[in-house]
Amino acid sequence: MTLAPSPSAASRSLRDRIRRRGRVQSAADRAVLVMHDVAKTYPNGKTALLDVDLVIPEGDFVFLVGPSGAGKSTIIKLLIRDEIATRGQVVLDGQDLARLPRRAVPKIRRKIGIVFQDFKLLPTKSVWENVAFALEVTGSPRRKIRPAVDRVLALVGLTAQRSQIPSQLSGGEQQRTAIARALVHDPRLIIADEPTGNLDPLISWEIIQLLLRINELGVTVLMATHDADVVTALRKRVVALEEGRIIRDEVGGAYHRAD
Amino acid sequence: MIGFVVFSLRRAWQGFWRNALMSIAATATMVLMLVLLAGFWIIQTGLLSALDFTESKVEVVANIKLDAAPAAITELQTRLEAMPEVAGVSFVTREEALARFQQSMREQGREDLTKYLDSNPLTASYEVKLIDPSYATPIADRLREEPAVRNVLDTKDTAQNVKAVTDILRTAGTVILLVIGVIVLFIIVNTIRLAVVARAEEIEIMRLVGASDAFIRWPFVFEGAMVGLLGAGITLGGLYLLSDPIGTFMVDFFRVLPLSFGSLARDLVVLVTSAGLGLGVLGSWLSVRTYLIR
Ligand SMILES: Nc1ncnc2c1ncn2[C@@H]1O[C@H](COP(=O)(O)OP(=O)(O)OP(=O)(O)O)[C@@H](O)[C@H]1O
Ligand SMILES: [Mg+2]
Repeated sequence: MTLAPSPSAASRSLRDRIRRRGRVQSAADRAVLVMHDVAKTYPNGKTALLDVDLVIPEGDFVFLVGPSGAGKSTIIKLLIRDEIATRGQVVLDGQDLARLPRRAVPKIRRKIGIVFQDFKLLPTKSVWENVAFALEVTGSPRRKIRPAVDRVLALVGLTAQRSQIPSQLSGGEQQRTAIARALVHDPRLIIADEPTGNLDPLISWEIIQLLLRINELGVTVLMATHDADVVTALRKRVVALEEGRIIRDEVGGAYHRAD
Repeated sequence: MIGFVVFSLRRAWQGFWRNALMSIAATATMVLMLVLLAGFWIIQTGLLSALDFTESKVEVVANIKLDAAPAAITELQTRLEAMPEVAGVSFVTREEALARFQQSMREQGREDLTKYLDSNPLTASYEVKLIDPSYATPIADRLREEPAVRNVLDTKDTAQNVKAVTDILRTAGTVILLVIGVIVLFIIVNTIRLAVVARAEEIEIMRLVGASDAFIRWPFVFEGAMVGLLGAGITLGGLYLLSDPIGTFMVDFFRVLPLSFGSLARDLVVLVTSAGLGLGVLGSWLSVRTYLIR
């Protein structure tokens, strides 16, 4: 029996990493999300997406706009692997979602925070419990749950309302609870599907401000919206869809094409 | 792992009480089905043991000639006992035969005609018990050739009838128990599915925040197990309270000795508990399946 050292898998991968750090990273390397040549046809034959190419680098803030039925929600369903692309690749954090085994899906969803128009809060649970729920059901140990929930509630400014149930909250507060829940896993990417769709303009601005602040903390944000005022005012990156195709992708764009 | 089990049990408990009405409905369905199952099983077991009892009575009776030599008679007994098909041989003397006859007349309330006779007209006989009723004919044929034997009473027909009935009952009983099981499963799946549908929103959120299938499924499976065990407990409790009338019924109706009721009760506990648990768990397992990650 020899005790001669052999290069272990661990030290090999460490060397790889050091070598890679010296190299200039390409945009795709740093991307949280890459969609390449994606098409989605639903089982009923409806083609909702076609020829979609989209790269979202780490730290970006992206508006996804387009008329109703353009395919915005379909893109989001592909990203959370609620649906699988008919063609092309959807690569999230380096993993091709189409080739991801079923049991790996929950893990990838924990890297994404999802926010919907209808909040999707549990009506019988308090704000605190709704946020803690996301950690509980993913098997986080209890001692880690308390500080994590307290931290995100402070971040969204709901510490005072922590024990109220959703029906005792305003729409904006409900959406902030949902955002807190989306943040509690420390995701790299927040995906929001019309998060201000149910809110009046003033409250909508509040939610947008919150998402911008989260983005400043380094979290990538992808937000589908119909809110032309917000998109035009902020001059962020705008990806416009129409009939399933990306017709415009510009940094500093407005809601409508600048003609 | 322990955290997961605690989580699932806690959620199962909460789920059971949060939707108390639904849980009570599921438990009541379970109890109804288990009572049906237990009742059917009791009747089947009773019938089978009654038939077993009859079956054990099946025998070949050989009447001995009045003038047969005592040596020939004992020699015949030795040979009978040596036969592998024979379970037991008992000798009935002429006096015993007469006493039996008189008693049966008395029991039937008929006049004892033997008192008008001045001698015992009955013969002595060998009652041969067989290890299986199907041996009745060959043994009867062999006995007819014995010189000491006057005639042979062959209960062949009874034997075959009993065997046929027992076989049918065993098969039909198993089939009916299985059919009841499937119906129960169907009803339980649908009752538990109602509970699952009532929490579809919660399951959707769990999926969106990245809960694994196990975290979604096991609370429901434990809840199903709770319904099953509770149902089994209620069923067995009810049967226990009714055990005296049931015992009397078994004895009166099927002429099963109370002695066998102890082992019957044990079998019943095992049957009802495992059926309840199995149906509850399987029912929930099937009910949540459609809600897991596609
Ligand atoms: N599950 C489905 N099965 C079949 N067709 C679907 C399904 N989901 C969406 N579609 C269709 O795909 C197209 C794109 O839908 P999608 O929900 O992505 O639009 P959207 O851009 O989000 O619209 P909105 O702004 O109204 O939310 C629509 O024509 C829609 O009818
Ligand atoms: Mg949509």
